[in-house]
Amino acid sequence: MLNALRQRFNIPPRNEWRSWIGKMIDERVRIITAGLSIKELRAVVRGDPPTEKPNPRYKVITTSFIAHLRPRYYPAASTWFTHTFRLGWFTTFFFIVETLTGVILMVYYIPFPDQAYGSILEIESNVFFGELMRDAHRLGAEGMVIFSWLHLLRTYFTGSYKGPRTFTWLTGVLLLLITAWLSFTGYLLPWDQLAYWAVTVGTSITDSGPVVGPALNILMRGAPDIGTGGLLRFYLQHVILFPLIAILFISIHYYKVAREHSISLPAVIEETEITQEEKKEANRRIDLIPDLLSHEIFLISIGTFALLAILYFRLFNSPLETHANPQATPLDTKAPWYFWWLQGMLKIDPASIIENLVNPLFEMVGISFRLELSKLLNSKFIMGLVVPPGLVLLLMAIPYIDRNPSRLARNRPFAIAWGLAWVFIVIALSYMGTPQYGIETPPATRIIQDLAPEEGEGPLRLIPYAELQQGIYVVGEDYGDDLCPGLAYQPNPEEDVNNVVIGCPHLTAVFEQFSERLLEAEAEGGLPDLNARLIVEQLQANMFRVTPHVEWSDPITGDAKAYEHTYYLHEDRAREE
Amino acid sequence: MKRVQLEIILGTVFVLLSAAIMIVLGIREPQRLADYEVQQRAEEIEFGASVFVTNCTRCHGTQAQGITGIAPSLRDNHFFTQRIAEVGWGAGLEDYIVSVVTTGRQVSTRPQLYVGGGTPAMPTWSEKFGGPLRDDQIRAVAAFIMNFEPYALGQVPTVEPLLPVVDESTPEGRGQVVFLQAGCNACHTISGLSTGTIGPVLDGVGLRAATRVEGLTAEEYIHQSIIEPSAYVVEGYADGLMPQTFAETLTEEQIADLIAFLLTLQ
Repeated sequence: MLNALRQRFNIPPRNEWRSWIGKMIDERVRIITAGLSIKELRAVVRGDPPTEKPNPRYKVITTSFIAHLRPRYYPAASTWFTHTFRLGWFTTFFFIVETLTGVILMVYYIPFPDQAYGSILEIESNVFFGELMRDAHRLGAEGMVIFSWLHLLRTYFTGSYKGPRTFTWLTGVLLLLITAWLSFTGYLLPWDQLAYWAVTVGTSITDSGPVVGPALNILMRGAPDIGTGGLLRFYLQHVILFPLIAILFISIHYYKVAREHSISLPAVIEETEITQEEKKEANRRIDLIPDLLSHEIFLISIGTFALLAILYFRLFNSPLETHANPQATPLDTKAPWYFWWLQGMLKIDPASIIENLVNPLFEMVGISFRLELSKLLNSKFIMGLVVPPGLVLLLMAIPYIDRNPSRLARNRPFAIAWGLAWVFIVIALSYMGTPQYGIETPPATRIIQDLAPEEGEGPLRLIPYAELQQGIYVVGEDYGDDLCPGLAYQPNPEEDVNNVVIGCPHLTAVFEQFSERLLEAEAEGGLPDLNARLIVEQLQANMFRVTPHVEWSDPITGDAKAYEHTYYLHEDRAREE
Repeated sequence: MKRVQLEIILGTVFVLLSAAIMIVLGIREPQRLADYEVQQRAEEIEFGASVFVTNCTRCHGTQAQGITGIAPSLRDNHFFTQRIAEVGWGAGLEDYIVSVVTTGRQVSTRPQLYVGGGTPAMPTWSEKFGGPLRDDQIRAVAAFIMNFEPYALGQVPTVEPLLPVVDESTPEGRGQVVFLQAGCNACHTISGLSTGTIGPVLDGVGLRAATRVEGLTAEEYIHQSIIEPSAYVVEGYADGLMPQTFAETLTEEQIADLIAFLLTLQ
């Protein structure tokens, strides 16, 4: 019976079992590793040379699908850290972080206006590691945007878009656009004020387009205003359509690098006189297995740690404003920072600039004709729909415009200067795109907004609850050094019983800031007949209502004006400084 | 040391550090979730307060204290301890508030006490039924009203609400305080003081009062309008909207102050 089994399964005699089992395991390992034996695997991990000939490590690249996407080796010089800074690599790393955290967030997120905001609150308050996932997803998105821009700049300044890499550059520019669109579509999903208005303003750009503009706007928003249809459209673009497009273009972009033209060598190696040894060292093969892979594992450990450390020390926190409200336009509509340059451009009106330049000339010469470009050209259309696509086309066309064959920086001064100029222009435009730039807010509104912004903290919201004391504090009256001299409280009685705050320094400071800025504005003539007060009322046992109230006469018409804003401060609201 | 070895050592350190961060965050996570929920509730109450002030004070008063004859107090003992039993509501009070705010009231449940703000007695507030409020806003209003519980049950002494600074040594100043305390502001607009729209605007009433009803002086007309609102109803307003109870709830002296104040509106 036993013998029959032995024969049936081809089992050798007992003294040969050891080698027989070893052989069986080795076979399985070779199948799983696509060609590496146990002995070879050991050599790989120890950093020993290959144990067999031909090199079985190259066989993996032929037989394994995943490894087939990778290069066999890179020349040593192209992997110098100072040449690539691993920027493209980290962009891909963040794309993978986004995919992993995104899939987890998709489990909890509900893409409908009634429930979207609530589902975000649920993720933050009722999902284990929910906040961590959301913050990591947001931080990863910022990382992907930053690193794709830096990768583009590096490629530009090392001239790596030239020669065989022109098409790779083109796919890279497309990937930059895809990254931007992925982050913009994700921006809407929390369905808070920030999201709603940034996307409303963003999509409104298309509205100014000719013929198809309004139709395109409706196509994106799903209706004249963003609602159920619009949110679903953005959601599906964010989680299905554009990730797929991104994977397609990342594949094309990467395959070109890995299998066709490799990473560019530093120009000093290719174009300057170097010794034979230096040349040999520069072209030394850095194999995928084990050198590139082990380095990549190291980079993954750095990237993961950096992400976690930033989140652990709370250096980054994904914002969540109040629920989207189509009826209430926020005072400062903010695009994501990487679109500030576009927002800055929209504040420029080219037609009136040309008019202001040309019309005085006409007047000097005595021609009665006046150029009225503003009537013909819509600045939103030009700066929103003509110039940005033009810039993108220009970016794509760089390899075809720049015919200079050299990649050495000293041989291409014009290209380097041009690149630096654009970096400067984008930074300047971004500054112009910040919400405060070039937008006048009435002084009373601005002062109250600075004290307590519609969204987020601000000095008024940071007043410790214990310092809120019912009263009407009138601007211009002398209250001495402290608004509530009779008050004394312990900021953290559990940790330090001896720490006692006398009076209400925070409330006093807020009132002083409020008074000072109002009186300044009155002195400058912005708020004549100023009459202002800060009203602090106890509304409920654990909640105060604070109302900064300002009355003044309009400097021009003399009409009586008033502005006030009401804030509710609950005892349990965290006040972090 | 070779570069690979350095990378292995550093990589191991980073992996261990990352694991340590995850463990620490994991240990803290239940506390963080609990804190976030408290924080969330606080923000919901704050938000609910702003929704209440914009939408509900016209009938329920600026501090939810109710307006005699129009709508009940939402912060008294009766509301917190007996109301749901009175109407036979099976679930909790907060859900009751959400339900009533969502659908409103076609007719008053206590017409002899509170007539409501017209027809329907209370409008439907949910945007599902044509009202202005989203579900989360209605939930927030309920959270805000529930937060009156310590006051309603007498666990915490009620703090008297602040009133605008007025000179209380004059009858006119005292009259302005009466105007706000008696809840007149909920229905009547006076520029710069109140925004109610159920009753006529009182701007300039000091000019109109003398000529409204033949044979009555301005003082007599306003006095009659306060204690006997149905004697003369301004055109365009339904009879019975104004509470008939001010003769009992206000003293003659308060009414005199109120008249003095209203006569200053010219």
